[in-house]
Formats: sequence, structure tokens, C-alpha cells
Amino acid sequence: MTEAEPAAPGRVLLVEDEPNIATALAFILQRDGWRVSTHPDGATALAAVDRHAPDVVVLDVMLPGKSGFEVLAEIRGGPRPDLPVLMLTAKGQAKDRERAEALGVSRFMTKPFSNAELLAAVQQLAGRAVADDAS
Amino acid sequence: MPASARGSTGGRIRERRLALGVRQAHLAARTGISPSYLNLIEHDRRPIGGALLGRIAEALDTTRASLAADVDESLLDALRAAGAAQGLPADDLAAAAELARRYPGWAAVIAAQSERLAAQADTIEALSDRLSHDPALAEAMHELLSTVSVVRSTASILASTPEIDPNWLRRFHANLDSDSRRLADGAEAVVSYLDRAAEGGDDARLTPPEVAARFLDAHDHAFPALEARGAEAIPDLVAELPGAEARALAAAVLRGDAEDAARLPLSMLQATQEPDALLEAACGDAALVLRRLGVTDPARGLVICDASGALIRRKAVAGFGLPVFGAGCPLWPLYEALSQPGRALTRRLEMPDGAVWVAHAVAAPLPQTRFDAVPTARSTMLLTRAVRDRADALPVGPGCRVCPRTGCAARREPSVLPG
Repeated sequence: MTEAEPAAPGRVLLVEDEPNIATALAFILQRDGWRVSTHPDGATALAAVDRHAPDVVVLDVMLPGKSGFEVLAEIRGGPRPDLPVLMLTAKGQAKDRERAEALGVSRFMTKPFSNAELLAAVQQLAGRAVADDAS
Repeated sequence: MPASARGSTGGRIRERRLALGVRQAHLAARTGISPSYLNLIEHDRRPIGGALLGRIAEALDTTRASLAADVDESLLDALRAAGAAQGLPADDLAAAAELARRYPGWAAVIAAQSERLAAQADTIEALSDRLSHDPALAEAMHELLSTVSVVRSTASILASTPEIDPNWLRRFHANLDSDSRRLADGAEAVVSYLDRAAEGGDDARLTPPEVAARFLDAHDHAFPALEARGAEAIPDLVAELPGAEARALAAAVLRGDAEDAARLPLSMLQATQEPDALLEAACGDAALVLRRLGVTDPARGLVICDASGALIRRKAVAGFGLPVFGAGCPLWPLYEALSQPGRALTRRLEMPDGAVWVAHAVAAPLPQTRFDAVPTARSTMLLTRAVRDRADALPVGPGCRVCPRTGCAARREPSVLPG
């Protein structure tokens, strides 16, 4: 087990209901070597946490059905409470950040962000070296 | 006699009483007030007017006109407020009546400018609250930023990936096309929204509670038809409102006002405007007295909050700013009363401009609807402009966002005003 993990590509669970954002984020993550599973809502994402065993979850705040906060709370209360979670939201939502931090978010990013910033955050959360040029 | 006494109603009462050799206790007994209250009136520490002034004039064998100040009391109060806001010493503030008599034109200019400053502070508060609490604007900005984010990511991918698969290339071009349109539409919608708001045409975006509040404000919370016809006047009164929900909210407020009017009719309020003197007629219901005085007297303000502290009724009065959204100043006795339901409070408050107000407040439990329901209370505060004397007044503000008091221990957020 220990000998196989360093060579295996990392897994990112991307939870984003806006298809064009999901397409762009999935593309840059895959181009960076990640295996990405994309989910448009919280319920399917939570089911996939058990199924795909991701290294990092990239989670939008505003989702249909369960909100990003509810998904985060369920992850923290589930079998993998230490799973790194990166939350995304629009700027000016200070209360969103406070709420996410109270729920135990690993990192919080505000839109708009650059591709390089997103990749650096995912790499850092997965415990990998950050690439110099990831744009 | 100090300059202030010569021009004030209190000073004239005292002067007339002493000239007749009447003792303070004797005059107080004849006019139905306590000697200490008369003493406060004579030293300009309590406002005087209406029926009480008439009784005092009669007891002193003179006319109301001869006792009334030769300078408009409201002008005097505005001048003292303007002076206090600039830190004038007490001796200079006492000369306000002299200034008003000798230079009435300049006095009016000073008072008008002071009131204009207060009005501008109210406007600033309304605008800042609007920007920070407008859900339509917040949602539009969120949509814009999300779209900017995806355009930026997609454009960055195309710029940094020269050997991109043709299928991906087509897909990203299509996404850029749709997202750039969405961005343009979103930007146009925000600009259009801001234009309409600037032109005052944002009524259509008001929430039902805001529509109902505007309706009450437009009538200054006073409805003669309600006093005359009771609850049957309500359908006609609310018919002008757009939206069934706003009409229902306004009608609920007016039903309460109609019940209040039936329990404490206008005729009783015309006899006296003193809260203490009305308690007996109101069968000891202090909140009823405060509500009735608040809605019938245009010179008084009224604030009601629920058990959470949220303001559910605001009747503003010139000089005492009330927040358009959110809670008021945590130091208002409105909230102090909430922690002691049933105990009526009287507090003297000093606003940042130096004006002094008397606040009567009481919290009362709402009727229990079920035996196992959690009891909840509602707090009511009546605001009455007082004669300026800051000696025992509690420094308060209109709400943190527009309060210039720095270092206030109760502050919950920074002010948008310079300190």
C-alpha cells in the first residue's frame, strides 16, 4: 500500500453546480495531473466521498439542495473528518468565510481567482510541492 | 436672572410665581404636579406646554401667551444642539435665547444648518444600510463575480495551452461566448438597478415589510380615519399598497393601532401628554401609553422591538436617527427594558449632537397562545425631546454605523462617519 501511493495520481472531488466553471476547473486540475470527479450538488458529492476516497474536496458555497456549508458539516462529522476541503465563494461574503471557518474549512478562496492560485491551494492541501508556473 | 431664563417658559413661570409670592409647593399642588417636577420646569429641565401650561397660567392669574417663551423653544433647542456639537461651554449655550432675540436671522441659519447636518447623517445611514443589506444587489454582485471567475479561468486556459484538443477548444470558445454574454447582461442589470435606485424608482424591489414601513412613514404613523372609525377603516387605508403581503403586514399594524385607540381614545390624550398622567386611564398598561403617544404626537418618536432585539416598528422623529435596517444603539433603554419585562424605565439620553431626549421604555410579554409555548416579550420605547441638560444624560447614538462616538464599549461595528 505504501509503495503504490506516491505514484498514484491524486483525486479531487469538485462540487460545483455551474457547468462552465466546473468544466474550466476540472480541465486545469486534470492538466495538472489530478483525477477529477465533478458533482453538481451536495448529495451526490457526499456519496462520492466514500466511493472515490478523494485527497481534496473543492466545494462551492452556493449549491442546489444542500449548501456548501451543510456538505462541509457532514464531511467533518463523517468517517473522514480530516479530509482537506477548499471552499469557493464570491468576494464580499465575510460572513461566509466566518461560517466556513467555524465549520472547520481547510481553506477558503474568493472569486475571482487565478488558475495558478487554485492549483497551488489544492497542491498545498494535498501536501504536495507547489508548482512554480501553474497558469 | 441668567439670559436663558429671561427667554424661556420655565424662567417666566418662576419669575411670575416669585412676583406673586406664591410658593413652589402651592403652585404645584394647584396644577396637579409634584413640586420637584415644577422645579425642573422652572429651571428648563423639563419641557412645558399644552394643558399643563394652561393650568399654570390660570393659577398664576395670567395668560399662556405671557408665560410662553418669546423665542421659539424648538429654535432654542436647535441652537443649543448646534453649540453643544461644537463643544461650546455651558455659559455660551445659556446665551442661545439672547442670540435668537438679537439676531433671529442668523439664529435661524445656524439652526437650519444643524438640522441639515442631522438629515445628512440620516441619509448616510440609509445609504450605507442599503448597500450592506440589499439582497438583490448582493445576489447580482455574486453572479457577476462568479461569471468573471469562469471567464478568467477559461481565458487563462486558452492562453496557456497552445496544443489544446480541438474538442476542448470548441467547448471553451462556446463557454467564453456564453459567459461573456452573461457577464454583459449582469453588468447591465447592476447598472440599471443602481440607476433606478438613484432615481428613487426602486419601489418594485422593496420587500413587503419595507413597503409597509414606507406606508406608515408616509402617514407619520397617524391615521385620523382609524381614530374616527376604528378597524373598519383599515381596508380603505391599505388599499393603496402594492402587493397582498405588504397590505396584510400594514393591516396587522393598523389593527393593533385601532385596538389601542379604542382603549385609550384621542380625547384622553388631548387632556394630557404626560405618560405618567395617562397610566391610570390605560389601566396601568405602560406600553399602551407609549404606543398611543408615539403614534399621535408628531413631535415624538416610537421604537418597538421583538425579543430578539429586531426593530419591528420605527417612527422617526427629527434629530433622533433610527436605523433603516438592523438594530439600534445597544445602549437604548429599549433593550434594557427587554431584560426586565414589566418594569417601566425612564432614561435621559444624549445624542452625539448634544440634544437630550427623554426615553420611556417598557417590555411586556405577548399573550400566551399555548401552555407549552415559550413566553416572549416585546419592548416599546417613546422618545421625547427634552430641554438640554446633559448632566445626567446617558450618551447614546442612532446605531453603530452612523455613530461618531469612538471608544464606545457597546460598539459592534465601525462607523462610516469620521470620529
